[in-house]
Amino acid sequence: MSDPQIRVDDLKKSYRVHEREAGTKASIKSLFKRTYKEVEAVKGVSFTIEPGEVVGFLGPNGAGKTTTLKMLSGLLFPTGGAASVMGYTPWNREQKYLRHISLVMGNRNQLMWDIPAMDSFLVNRAVYQIPEKQFQETLDELIALLDLEKLLKKPVRGLSLGERMKCELAAALLHRPAVLFLDEPTLGVDVTMQVRIRQFIGEQNRKYGTTVLLTSHYMADVTALCKRVIVIHRGALLYDGDLSALSDRIAPFKLVKLDFETPEAAQKAGDYGLVTEQEEMKVTLRLPREETSSTVARLLAELPVRDLTVEDPSIEEVIEQVFASGVSA
Amino acid sequence: MTRWIQIYRAQLKVGIAAMLQYRFAVLIWAVWGFVGPLISLAVWTAATASRGGSISQGATTFSRADFAAYFLVFMVFSHLTMSWDAMEFASRIRDGQLSPQLLKPIHPIHRDVAANLAFKIVTSAMLLPVWGLLILIFKPTPPANLWQPILAVPALLIAGVMRYLFNYCVALIAFWTTRVDAINQLYFTLDSFLSGRIAPLALLPLWLGTIATYSPFRSMISFPVELALGRVPPSQIPLGFALQIFWLSLSVIALRKMWNSGIRQYSAVGA
Repeated sequence: MSDPQIRVDDLKKSYRVHEREAGTKASIKSLFKRTYKEVEAVKGVSFTIEPGEVVGFLGPNGAGKTTTLKMLSGLLFPTGGAASVMGYTPWNREQKYLRHISLVMGNRNQLMWDIPAMDSFLVNRAVYQIPEKQFQETLDELIALLDLEKLLKKPVRGLSLGERMKCELAAALLHRPAVLFLDEPTLGVDVTMQVRIRQFIGEQNRKYGTTVLLTSHYMADVTALCKRVIVIHRGALLYDGDLSALSDRIAPFKLVKLDFETPEAAQKAGDYGLVTEQEEMKVTLRLPREETSSTVARLLAELPVRDLTVEDPSIEEVIEQVFASGVSA
Repeated sequence: MTRWIQIYRAQLKVGIAAMLQYRFAVLIWAVWGFVGPLISLAVWTAATASRGGSISQGATTFSRADFAAYFLVFMVFSHLTMSWDAMEFASRIRDGQLSPQLLKPIHPIHRDVAANLAFKIVTSAMLLPVWGLLILIFKPTPPANLWQPILAVPALLIAGVMRYLFNYCVALIAFWTTRVDAINQLYFTLDSFLSGRIAPLALLPLWLGTIATYSPFRSMISFPVELALGRVPPSQIPLGFALQIFWLSLSVIALRKMWNSGIRQYSAVGA
């Protein structure tokens, strides 16, 4: 097995934040006596990522995902712990390191606002020292994959959000980074564009073996691209493993959808498990995984059931469960 | 070396393109740089007229045409050495615009230097005819000799670099406090008095003139201006260059230290 492309060891980041109550009195008081609070954004996270992996980095707002990505891309210095990406310590910000990575943030632009994206691409060619032939090949490929032809000559400020994100992705990939950090790359773009961007990221990974660490609030991004997910919550690691095993480990329950023959039977469904949804005679029950077969057998024997299906919870529900309970894997 | 030429060529190209997008705003900025020295010139011209044609302080005498020469050269040199990073850097940190620049394998200062040069290329082309016209109107005294104006060229180059670096150091204070307006104001006030923007330093009261001479602000504009006019006593020229080199070296060291330390501070605010 090759060396991990990314190794994160007990990585920590805390901020000192000035805080005060709202109102004039509090603001005058804070003039003379300031109170600070230490906020631990990342509390000792450890993981490794192999070359060519696409890993989903999940967690609710404020979980520490973006802070971790920023430390790994060299934007932030950690408070503790260590990290190595391609053998480099990211926050030393060596030029050689920065030439091999990219960080795309859905809410930040690297493209110059007033001029066409193509001009920014040409600056990147010079800054990253991309050989002319490789630049042209990559550009042609990106134009074809992302349908950029008509966008490159318009000033960036005239592009829609989705168009801009496509150009941002192209700018981030012109130098063919070996490691790609994506922070909400589909934020705010419409569904068709989301699909396009997802396909594109998958393509880059397959074709060039790019290692991708992706955060997204859209579970579709994660399910389409990532076999493995890392879940963090309140700065700590909750789960690291296969996406498919996430529900077994973290949310070991099944959803049983029942259609009863009588309203009385539907009323009694709650005796067998937790009712999560009910609409007249249609009831959804949440049952512990290991008890599902026996409970379903009892239900069928004791109540008049017209139809029954047993399903795994959706990934959204699993994640929601994780964030609600903070269960440790 | 080729890499840097390529980088600067590409950055200059986009810098000029961006400037041309806002040509009217850029022109206003450039003209604004003219207004300050022109007001000073008008004030000193009036003062000269009321004092019988010249103003003296110690051994130094300035006639109306001397003032015209001083402020017209000052206008050009001030324009050629101006920078505005101190005014923009804090908002870049607050809004997180610095992050994409930090991800590139090149120090963000190179992008800023290129934008600065682009501004000067575009505006100098716009302002050149205006300078010519002002010379015709004000009929300034020609330089007292020809060899000092030649020395003014390297002095202006050093002045441009050190003024830029000093300004950038002031900009970097934003890593520690993002509300830097008061600090900028203090810096620009000192610059106004000690760089010779309001009055030629030779006409300042002795104590203030001495402070100005040894402050970095004289090295940033006034010294090259004085050389261009041929007004520096020859024995004082080595001291002028030595002070320039001293302040330049100090600004390089300060910039490095501030950057390395500031970048560690760059955190939750906008990163």
